[in-house]
Amino acid sequence: MTDNTATLRSTLPRSTKSGGWLSSLLMRFEALRGYLLLSPTLLIMIIGICVPLFILVGMSLWTQHGFEFDKSLTLANYFNVAEQPIYKALLARSILISGGCALATVILSYPMAYFVAFHVHRHKMVWIILMTLPFWTSYLLRVFSWKIILGYNGVINSGLIGMGLIDQPLEFLLYSPLAVVITLTHAWSAFAILPIYVSLEKIDRSLLEAATDLGDGPVRRFFRITFPMSLPGVIAAALIIFIPTVGDYITPTLLGGPDGIMLANLISAQFGKVNDWPMGAALAIALMVTVALFSVVFVIISRKVTERIT
Amino acid sequence: MSMSYINRPNRPLHVYALLYLAFLYVPVLFLPLFSFNDSIFIAFPLKEFTFKWYEVMFNNEPMLAALANSVKVGVVTSIVATFLGIFAAKAVTRYRMPGRGPVVAFIMLPLVIPGIIFGVSLLILLSELGVRLSLYTVTLGHIIVCVPFAMVTMIPRFEGFDASIEEASSDLGENMWWTFWRVTFPVVFPGIIASFLLCFTISFDEFIIAFFLSGTEPTLPIYMWSQLRFPDKLPGVLALGSIILMVSFVVVFAAHWIRNRGMPYKRVGGV
Amino acid sequence: MDVVDQLHAVKSGKLSRRAFSKSLLGVGVGIVAMPYMSRPAGAAAADQATYFTWGGYDDPALFGEYIKKYGEAPNLATFGGSEEALTKMRSGFMVDVSHPCNADVPRWIASGLFQPLDTDKLSNWGDVIPELYQLDGIMVNGQPYMAPFDWGQTSVTYRTDLFDLEGKEESWGMLWDERYKGRLAVLASAGDAWWCGAIYAGVDFKDISSKVGFEKTAELMRKQRPLIRTYTDDETTLEQALASGEIVAAMTWNSSAVKLKTAGVKVKFANPKEGALTWVCGAMIRKDAPQMDKAYDIVNSMLSVETGKWLIGENGYGHSNVKSFAQFTDKQLDELGLNRNPAEVLSTGKFMSPQSQEFETSMNQEFEKIKAGF
Repeated sequence: MTDNTATLRSTLPRSTKSGGWLSSLLMRFEALRGYLLLSPTLLIMIIGICVPLFILVGMSLWTQHGFEFDKSLTLANYFNVAEQPIYKALLARSILISGGCALATVILSYPMAYFVAFHVHRHKMVWIILMTLPFWTSYLLRVFSWKIILGYNGVINSGLIGMGLIDQPLEFLLYSPLAVVITLTHAWSAFAILPIYVSLEKIDRSLLEAATDLGDGPVRRFFRITFPMSLPGVIAAALIIFIPTVGDYITPTLLGGPDGIMLANLISAQFGKVNDWPMGAALAIALMVTVALFSVVFVIISRKVTERIT
Repeated sequence: MSMSYINRPNRPLHVYALLYLAFLYVPVLFLPLFSFNDSIFIAFPLKEFTFKWYEVMFNNEPMLAALANSVKVGVVTSIVATFLGIFAAKAVTRYRMPGRGPVVAFIMLPLVIPGIIFGVSLLILLSELGVRLSLYTVTLGHIIVCVPFAMVTMIPRFEGFDASIEEASSDLGENMWWTFWRVTFPVVFPGIIASFLLCFTISFDEFIIAFFLSGTEPTLPIYMWSQLRFPDKLPGVLALGSIILMVSFVVVFAAHWIRNRGMPYKRVGGV
Repeated sequence: MDVVDQLHAVKSGKLSRRAFSKSLLGVGVGIVAMPYMSRPAGAAAADQATYFTWGGYDDPALFGEYIKKYGEAPNLATFGGSEEALTKMRSGFMVDVSHPCNADVPRWIASGLFQPLDTDKLSNWGDVIPELYQLDGIMVNGQPYMAPFDWGQTSVTYRTDLFDLEGKEESWGMLWDERYKGRLAVLASAGDAWWCGAIYAGVDFKDISSKVGFEKTAELMRKQRPLIRTYTDDETTLEQALASGEIVAAMTWNSSAVKLKTAGVKVKFANPKEGALTWVCGAMIRKDAPQMDKAYDIVNSMLSVETGKWLIGENGYGHSNVKSFAQFTDKQLDELGLNRNPAEVLSTGKFMSPQSQEFETSMNQEFEKIKAGF
């Protein structure tokens, strides 16, 4: 950090009186000062994002031969991705599972965020802490505990059998895409509650009063004011969940079973036991581009919807 | 904040809130429950009550070493990411810069790129450079993921306070560093703590990037992953998980308590 | 925290106390972190050699002699499959000793990362069963690259009370039995599953990499896929699922059956009529091992009788030291499915044979596809 503080000290103007052409230049060009201050962060992020992504793209054009890479450039890996049904199917499944999970999380979390924003009047902070606390446990262990709940002789099955509702354990609970969606929904709910809560909390209460004074009932008031105004939070929540979950391969590995594995499982296998890094790079890029496309389309559509209803 | 007739108590919503909390907590509370259960099989019905898994845990050298590794990585990550977040947040809130929007969007990229992409691309970069994988490489990966969070946490702090105080300080002839240290720093301090805690939490629990970038010394999640395969190791892992949960409980509530102490009125937001 | 409130504090000079109380929080985190930052283990970690092994073998019980000599166990790192391990080491993961199986050895040698063993440095070498290091590919120019350590089988563990053999012989066909659709499980690594599939398909291991052999095996694995509840390398999952009756038969290694029997579950480790998959795994030392002497001490500890006793008694695997078997009675060995004369078990086993890197990649690629349902 000493480097940075030194930079700060030397490059930023001490006072208007101190001389030197550099500092006068800096004083004059505000943007330059801004970028100087930004430079350590920007530099690290360029090293950490641009360079690796550039190399990722480069590697996706290579091919693997035994231990070695054939570094002549070819689109073979991408043709492979496009031609083989498995990749498209797993990509589609990843999008469906993550999309389903984002949807479920937002739907389940919205009423809770609404409750804290409008119906909790004292100790709001305690409620917020209560909602985020479970996420301080290890992600792996949380995924694992769902295995205990959904398992063959797990909590749900033994409960249902105990109540005499079923004779045989429900097998679809575990090792299915459903199990993955349930677990991810639980694991990411804090990330949905907070943005939605913040957007609800920001709504000017006098607008609601006004709507009521104009004769709007609670339902109408909700759909005319509260919901549209909270949409930015809802959109943010959906994206914050959709994007990272697409890349998860832990939950599918532990709970997904043969029909629940996602593209990320295949990507990680390429860098491990399959040992075909260029193919893995191509799959990673395919995943990233697809996710970006879906996110952009989602944002555009939801903007349109927001405009229409507000 | 005045609450009026709009917000009459809503019984169904209240019930829903309680159900929702149960949904959040029940899976998590199974961890401590089974950490006291005298059986290597994590299944109902429960057997005898026991403390032995905690004993096993404290004697499990590799697991404690992994815990130490995670703490090291978490501390370094959160310090570095927070510093970088402060610089970036100050730059984008204090100066009018052309291209500000794209630059901020660029720094925020890790928020919208799945972790596995970072993991594999950094792995390729490091192996092409011939860098040996170690806790340093994990830390690098974590810093990149944490900077956007640090920046997002810090920006409201800088936006929220009046730049004229800083100007007044420099008008009084104070140098920039002194101004930062004596004026800016104290005001943004809560943001620093928030950012530190957030980054620590993210790094401490991060699995995917660490999976690709860790060398011989595993972080705690990586170690846990390797232990999930073995029934006789699992209860010890649950014991540690329960302790971590309890410590976070204490830390979070202590933070809350410290914040509220001596504050004339309560406000929502922050950590 | 209110911004106005903060500014007020700045003005009125109350700040230091407030800052102090807040920094208590930071101190709190520091206190949690402190003991670990200065733990002696951190310093010692650099002095000890590193052993990179299958998850589950990262147990101090393996290193009795080493611990006696140096006061603590070597550093341990784990992997889930030998292919994963090699990939990781090739991308810069530095260890002293690692733990491949016999079929991997030629490819591991070809990677250029390993050196032949100087058996004079291993005092227990004289007791190692020669059949184990005379397997294909382990010796190059009369020098072994791998010190054999554990050997065992991949076979079917099944619930004797739930799986009805109908008087038939035990067979790999148990894992293709339509009656138990959705109640069967298979190891997720092709290194086991593919080879077992090849045995059932009647593909000779000499032809496993031929086009015909490859396709015959792939076809059979595809046929099996709809019957499978889960593919996993996770022994916990397999053992718990067998214990609960969720699955009735699974492809496992010896230790799962031993552990389940100990827990009182009615299981048997089958002896399939087609032959079980047999493997020998062991220790290889890196050429550039940072702790060369200690690397040999790790290997020597693994070959000791003390370690052998743990390996046989607790896990049901065979050990490479012939004297380890003297620690057990015939009855005990019989219950574990082992034999005082290991050569006998080994001669009936189907040994994995070394393959090219290209074959490993395409086999793994194909098996990943099959598992995903394609």
